[in-house]
Amino acid sequence: MSAAAQIALQNAINGLLIGGTYATVAVGFSLVWGILNVINIAHGALVMLGAYVTYWLFTLYHIDPLLSLPLTGALLFALGYPLQRIVINQVVRASFFITFLLTFGLELLITNLALAAWTADIRSVTTSYSGWSVALGPIALPVVRIVSLLIALLTAAALQLVMTRTRLGGAIRATASDQEAARLMGIPIAHVYALTFAIAAATAGIAGSLISLSFPIFPAMGAGYTLIAFVTCVLGGLGSVPGALLGGLLLGLLQTYAASWLGPNFDNIIAFSVLILVLLVRPAGLLGRAQRFRG
Amino acid sequence: MAVLVVGTLAWGMSGPANGEGILKIGAPLAATGPDAREGALTKAGYDLWVETANTRGGVKVGTTAYKVQIVYYDDQSKPPTSAELTDKLITQDKVNFVLGPYGSPVTFADAAIAEKYKSPMVEANGAARRIFQQGYKYVFGITSPADDYAAAMLKAATSLKPKPETVAILSADDLFSLEVANGAKDWADHNGLKVVYFQKYPSNAPDLSAPLTSIKSLNPDVLIGSGHLQESLVAMKQAQTLGVNVKFFGFTVGPTTPDFVKSLGPAAEYVFASSQWTQDVKYTGPLFGSTQDFAKLFQIRYGYIPDYHAAQSAAGGLTLQLAIEKAGSLDPQKVRDALASLDVMTFYGRIKFNTDGLNVYKPMVTVQIQHGQVMTIWPADVASAKAIYPTPLWTARQ
Repeated sequence: MSAAAQIALQNAINGLLIGGTYATVAVGFSLVWGILNVINIAHGALVMLGAYVTYWLFTLYHIDPLLSLPLTGALLFALGYPLQRIVINQVVRASFFITFLLTFGLELLITNLALAAWTADIRSVTTSYSGWSVALGPIALPVVRIVSLLIALLTAAALQLVMTRTRLGGAIRATASDQEAARLMGIPIAHVYALTFAIAAATAGIAGSLISLSFPIFPAMGAGYTLIAFVTCVLGGLGSVPGALLGGLLLGLLQTYAASWLGPNFDNIIAFSVLILVLLVRPAGLLGRAQRFRG
Repeated sequence: MAVLVVGTLAWGMSGPANGEGILKIGAPLAATGPDAREGALTKAGYDLWVETANTRGGVKVGTTAYKVQIVYYDDQSKPPTSAELTDKLITQDKVNFVLGPYGSPVTFADAAIAEKYKSPMVEANGAARRIFQQGYKYVFGITSPADDYAAAMLKAATSLKPKPETVAILSADDLFSLEVANGAKDWADHNGLKVVYFQKYPSNAPDLSAPLTSIKSLNPDVLIGSGHLQESLVAMKQAQTLGVNVKFFGFTVGPTTPDFVKSLGPAAEYVFASSQWTQDVKYTGPLFGSTQDFAKLFQIRYGYIPDYHAAQSAAGGLTLQLAIEKAGSLDPQKVRDALASLDVMTFYGRIKFNTDGLNVYKPMVTVQIQHGQVMTIWPADVASAKAIYPTPLWTARQ
């Protein structure tokens, strides 16, 4: 294999790995946007909380990050439900601008509380297996990140199953497509909204958990991930699990190849140029809104 | 509004004895904002100087001994606020002299104000070249300039056997990091090191796997990272999992902070970094005595080992004192001239300014992480350990 081909192949893996992270971050953001019509600016802050839950469970109680994943998801679920039911639900039918402001405020609040509680110190979850890597000839496969990608895919698949194969998923989709009709069918709208948000928070927690395994964490890390989630959703198409997955992987690959071929400073230039192109050609995203959550 | 903290703890509070004068010095300094931690270290250094100078007879001007008092204001880590406070210190508080704030951007803002009022400013925590490219006559920086940060590591690397021949430089795209990276490239170009890779990435980049993949294929002897702590962590984690093997991993910022070893564990081993100062260097000078005497005094006073921020801040105060004593006057113009012609050895290193007000005479030191400890390995005459080089392959580490 030529050197150039080796680099290209390694970067395909690098791109898919970071893309998998993006997808896990975006899937919950996409869900809330698609179903509740709320752009949750605080999504990245929930990712950050997930990362810190993992960090503290690992540091204080020596619970392996992969074992604590379900717990992190459950904790964020438990936080997400009342957050939507008590706070966001108050304005869920207000104008887009108001929900935007509210979640922006929540983002500031959560980030600054984290800053006060845990300081701005940069921390990492370093396990005995953090540095493991499998060499496939000249190609390096970082074990933890491959496992993270698999968990990301599993999370997406599980979410897709919930959305398409369960009564809850049916209720959520029904609420999204026609709220009044759903209400008349006896679906408790507020409860469904809160559950949707809680599910999204759980996936954000899992994303944060996976991020903490491979990247340094700090209270302000969330904002960057909210932006990533936004781009991923627009790229892949709103409110659909396969859309978020496709958007995330595509964004990861785009950034990685741009960084490799043009220089690391070009990753966002290329990514956002493609985003604008997609918006021009296919405003609904690659897997557009029309087919979201089709059973 | 900024919180007024009239400085000087313990001894400084006792005030002037025998009717001697008070020397009032102003320092805008971050107590809040992103630089709060470094601001606190700076203040520790300034305060130690004040206490030591005051207990050892004060600042002598002719036959009068002056007690030092520092007026601090919190500049919130913001350059405009800091500049405003510098103005206030000079025009309203009527301080005799100014000690610098923390950080290059803030120092850059304050320097303009000190210059405007022709009020001599000694600064110990702003290393960017551009502060000294404005033609200022009243601003003096005692630290080694930014372009030495990475070059110091290259100097150390080329002193090792087998001598490295190629270097890859990866820099964050902020001004300071770029200035450092360009300084390294310059030095490499002029000293027979081939720069095989030179790229910048956006600050706080979450992922550096693409540039590291390119660097792996180029197989350089030296990798220099110029950026911030979290990027040095990402770079080392990904170098490990991508199997990037170089003989010399060097980062300008990161390895000397405790978070680096804590975060990376064994992957932090063998990593090199540069530092303005370590307590291993062997210099001796007035007031504080030797480097080790200073470190001991600092540790007794504060209960922790001084890092370079605290050391250079104490040295900044000392520099101002030496210039005032040399001038034999509190006249700003005379003290300014004394600073310009100052040439002294201190516990921090040699203090002598070029015509831009920049201390280009003090070497930086290069350190390496060995068994989780930061060891000074270059220059050889002040080293506390021998460099472990070349860095073992990732596969050869247990």
